[in-house]
Amino acid sequence: MSSRGGKQKKGNVTSEQEEEEQPLQAVLVADSFNRRFFPISKDQPRALLPLGNVAMIDYTLEFLTSTGVQETFVFCCWMSNKIKDHLLKSKWCRPTSPNVVHIITSDLYRSLGDVLRDVDAKNLVRNDFILVYGDVVSNIDVSQALQEHRHRRKVDKNISVMTMVFKESSPGHKTRCEEDDVIVAMDSKSKRVLHYQKTQGLKKLQFPMNIFQHGSDEFEIRHDLLDCHISICSPQVAELFTDNFDYQTRNDFVRGILVNEEILGNQIHLYVTQDGYGARVSNLQMYDSVSLDMVRRWVYPLTPEANFTDQQGQGCTHSRHNVYRGAEVSLGHGSQMEENVLIGRDTSIGANCHISNSVIGNNCTIGDNVVLDRAHMWNNVHVSSNVEIHQSVVCDGAVVKEAVRLNKQCVLAYNVVIGPNLSLPEGTVVSMHHPEEEEEDDDDEFLSDDQEVGHSKDKTRQKAFNPAEVGPEGKGYIWKASMNDTEDEELAQCLWGLVLNPDPESDSESEASEESQDRSRSVSPEIDDVNAFQLEVLGTLQRGLEENIVCDNLVLEINSLKYAYNITLKEVMQILTRVVLEYPFQQQGTQLTTLQYTGSLLPLLKTWSPVFKNYIKRAQDHLDCLSAVEELFLEQDTHQTAMVKVLMKMYQLEILEEEAILKWFSTGATNDKSRQLRKNQGVRLGQICVWGKPSQNVKGYQFGHCGSLILLLQKETTLLIFSDGVQRKQTPCSQCHKKESCGMV
Amino acid sequence: MPGADKETDLTERIEAFLADLKRGGSGTGPLRGSGEMARETTYLLRRITAQARWSSAGDLMEIIRNEGRRMTAAQPSETTVGNMVRRVLKIIREEYARSRGSSEETEQQESLHKLLTAGELSEENFRQHFVHLKANVIEAINELLTELDGTTDNIAMQALEHIHSNEVIMTVGRSRTVEAFLKDAARKRKFHVIVAECAPFCQGHEMATGLSKVGIETTVIADAAIFAVMSRVNKVIIGTQTVLANGGLRAVNGTHSVALAARHHSTPLIICAPMFKLSPQVFTTIFYPFPGSFSYCLPVLREILSKVNVHCPVFDYVPPELITLFISNIGGNAPSYIYRLMSELYHPEDHKL
Repeated sequence: MSSRGGKQKKGNVTSEQEEEEQPLQAVLVADSFNRRFFPISKDQPRALLPLGNVAMIDYTLEFLTSTGVQETFVFCCWMSNKIKDHLLKSKWCRPTSPNVVHIITSDLYRSLGDVLRDVDAKNLVRNDFILVYGDVVSNIDVSQALQEHRHRRKVDKNISVMTMVFKESSPGHKTRCEEDDVIVAMDSKSKRVLHYQKTQGLKKLQFPMNIFQHGSDEFEIRHDLLDCHISICSPQVAELFTDNFDYQTRNDFVRGILVNEEILGNQIHLYVTQDGYGARVSNLQMYDSVSLDMVRRWVYPLTPEANFTDQQGQGCTHSRHNVYRGAEVSLGHGSQMEENVLIGRDTSIGANCHISNSVIGNNCTIGDNVVLDRAHMWNNVHVSSNVEIHQSVVCDGAVVKEAVRLNKQCVLAYNVVIGPNLSLPEGTVVSMHHPEEEEEDDDDEFLSDDQEVGHSKDKTRQKAFNPAEVGPEGKGYIWKASMNDTEDEELAQCLWGLVLNPDPESDSESEASEESQDRSRSVSPEIDDVNAFQLEVLGTLQRGLEENIVCDNLVLEINSLKYAYNITLKEVMQILTRVVLEYPFQQQGTQLTTLQYTGSLLPLLKTWSPVFKNYIKRAQDHLDCLSAVEELFLEQDTHQTAMVKVLMKMYQLEILEEEAILKWFSTGATNDKSRQLRKNQGVRLGQICVWGKPSQNVKGYQFGHCGSLILLLQKETTLLIFSDGVQRKQTPCSQCHKKESCGMV
Repeated sequence: MPGADKETDLTERIEAFLADLKRGGSGTGPLRGSGEMARETTYLLRRITAQARWSSAGDLMEIIRNEGRRMTAAQPSETTVGNMVRRVLKIIREEYARSRGSSEETEQQESLHKLLTAGELSEENFRQHFVHLKANVIEAINELLTELDGTTDNIAMQALEHIHSNEVIMTVGRSRTVEAFLKDAARKRKFHVIVAECAPFCQGHEMATGLSKVGIETTVIADAAIFAVMSRVNKVIIGTQTVLANGGLRAVNGTHSVALAARHHSTPLIICAPMFKLSPQVFTTIFYPFPGSFSYCLPVLREILSKVNVHCPVFDYVPPELITLFISNIGGNAPSYIYRLMSELYHPEDHKL
């Protein structure tokens, strides 16, 4: 281990710093949690699909390793066995690998959220980690972003929870994925994300005004960013996912953080890089462009001839016009490889072929007079003579018979046979899986895949192939992507992605749905809900006390209640305060004396202080809590004297801060009663300031003539706080000036 | 088990070296400069000799040849690595021959007669076991390392023979060897250096700063001005990435145009190249593309970048007839003499690893 550290040292400066800290960790999610690549990903998980004849997950691992990650957790769900086998065979699991790969599989992961919750539950990450998907191809050096992230965490005391990595690329760039098109509003100085929205083809975008009203005076609204789907997360991210189990994707998370920014006090930052390459293969459109970029060497040093996976026989030579040839490639007479062509080993190509912008896998045979343009052929594909293929994907083991023409965006899934003499219309997807079996198998989808494959084979035998669709000798069914329309908005988008046929209908739909969501959110919860919630919280706390439940679990329970009754965080806090303060009355009846009341309440406050601390974080929270306290004691006016003790206890437990109490005291009272209350409490409040704890700002206190509280601050200034809320520095009221009894100098 | 431990340590080191090679070729990665690359390779080869399991010279050569093949495949543009592997193989052959007692002379001499009877002197002859072979080979590799350490100094020492007072010297880009060469001459003589900036990386700027710091009168010119300035130049002194077997060069892009301009004006073209850059390769059509970001050299094209195919070779081939003199650590040689150096440094059987 020590020698490994030593080697890293001479590399770059950042690794030296890392050494002082803990090894850099990464979480790699080797599952897409959607069915965009169906029917291809029915047979092979997306992370293992070949891109430039190398599985996509290898690119991601290489990227992580080259940025200095020393420990990677790979989470797999769909076909986890295949991913595991692949990784165990690869160079990442050799003992010499500088990046230790742990594979964690479970059939229960249904979203990114589940994975991160598991990360939290298993306590895997100890420090900031990099979060990527198994289909990210990148050569960006994130060490700079990492440094910035760590610096921010150090300076701002863990307010920043996540740094997202973006690449600058203007709209219209091919590797920009239309679905992932985002608009980001950010603070130009601190690089803080203020607003994050997917455009989804919308023409009009709305920004909430409040994002521009606080913080610095420089803002940027950027549309020239490409989301690389690389994020640097603090361990808090996993915790936040645990706390909010409605978070499914990173998008949910980012939205949640931004919406609740004022309440939870967490921030998200971004890092924009100008050079480097980073993209996520989220649909076939992206697959097409990333694959071409790869061949065109934009992802240097991850080039096809580099053979970074270190597999035997994967090497190839690179020659002019980006033509790569593996070992034992044979090329017939008169065949031309025009540009950007990658040919795997043992592939033979017949005479008079024209190949451009294509990737051909290992062990393929291609007949004579074949035209390939932007074709992506995987391994063991057989193409007969006189075939034309344009911008299509041909998976392992597929056979294309004579004189077949594949128009743009066709997909031939595993082991399909097509032809002869057929022209497939644009966007045809042919698969050995019958589309109808999809529905039947829906439920046991996530169960073991072997079983499912067995199932489907039985079924395919029962149903005949349609020669009109796949040709007289063809095998396979036309796959209809529209099957899933009803399921999910996201799934309605076709295999190739939105980009080529933007459907105006779906756009307006998404707009409408978003609006309706917003509306439902803004509607305030019913009064009944609040009452019911209050009762539930009371029950929870009671049970917590009886069964001695840990406060963290109480928080969790309250959080879940919050969602069940659709209560805002502010209300949660107020209700919680109220419930706790009323607790002694609930238990022992309303006839308590003040002394008895405080005697039973103060220990309770102590036990539940972690619960309070969880909800009371920002200045506004403190004020809200205080107003709840005030409200309660206004109702229970016989016990008003207990208030100061409660406040003092809360102050000592660090639930409330001194400034907040003073601010509350100074802010305007809404009615006579509360003014009276403040006046009464003023004397004792001063006591808090001086007795409570060694206070930084206040040396002493006095009371002015007019009932104002005069705080003697350090640095020779005094602060006058009047019970009617006026706050002045250094200028006492005129009456106080005149009268000696005022106590002012 | 200490033996297994050693072996994993060794493989770990080899893997790390390979990874370094893969990530950064041509001075952009963690390994900078071919001198350092040569030293690192030799250190690693010495370690392999010391730690790998072998009983005879043949085994060792096989191991080194295998590792060498992997290393050269990892970064084909770095010929230095392959050269050092060949040097070490040659050392093993010599040490084996010495242990057997046969004279070095007969081993080295090539003759038609020997070629005809070459069959018996094949690998099987390396099977004999010698106790001291390991120590001898390591000793010889250490000598090689000392030689590597002294190359730049040895070249710089010859500077006064080539640079005279009030001469105008032109150079291209940045070469550590040339920089040391010029600085050495500047201790005694006053002369003027013109540096072509060598866009887009503009290493020439670095070079010029380095030279002017020691008080050499330095001018930086744009690459386009090379031909215009050439008439005033007395000598062109440049470095190279590789010296090819035919006496040609594989050098930084733009060198060929400098060489042609020099030929047009009959200006002597002197190459400063340490011996470890001498490669048994001959000119091949493989071109090595620009490592790093394309957007760097095409800032204005960003809008249409997705439709652009960038071909940007980093190296030029300079044919031997344009070159006047090679200055290496063992003295000056004409390009036509390179073949002889080649046969002294490398064994013919090792030309192809």
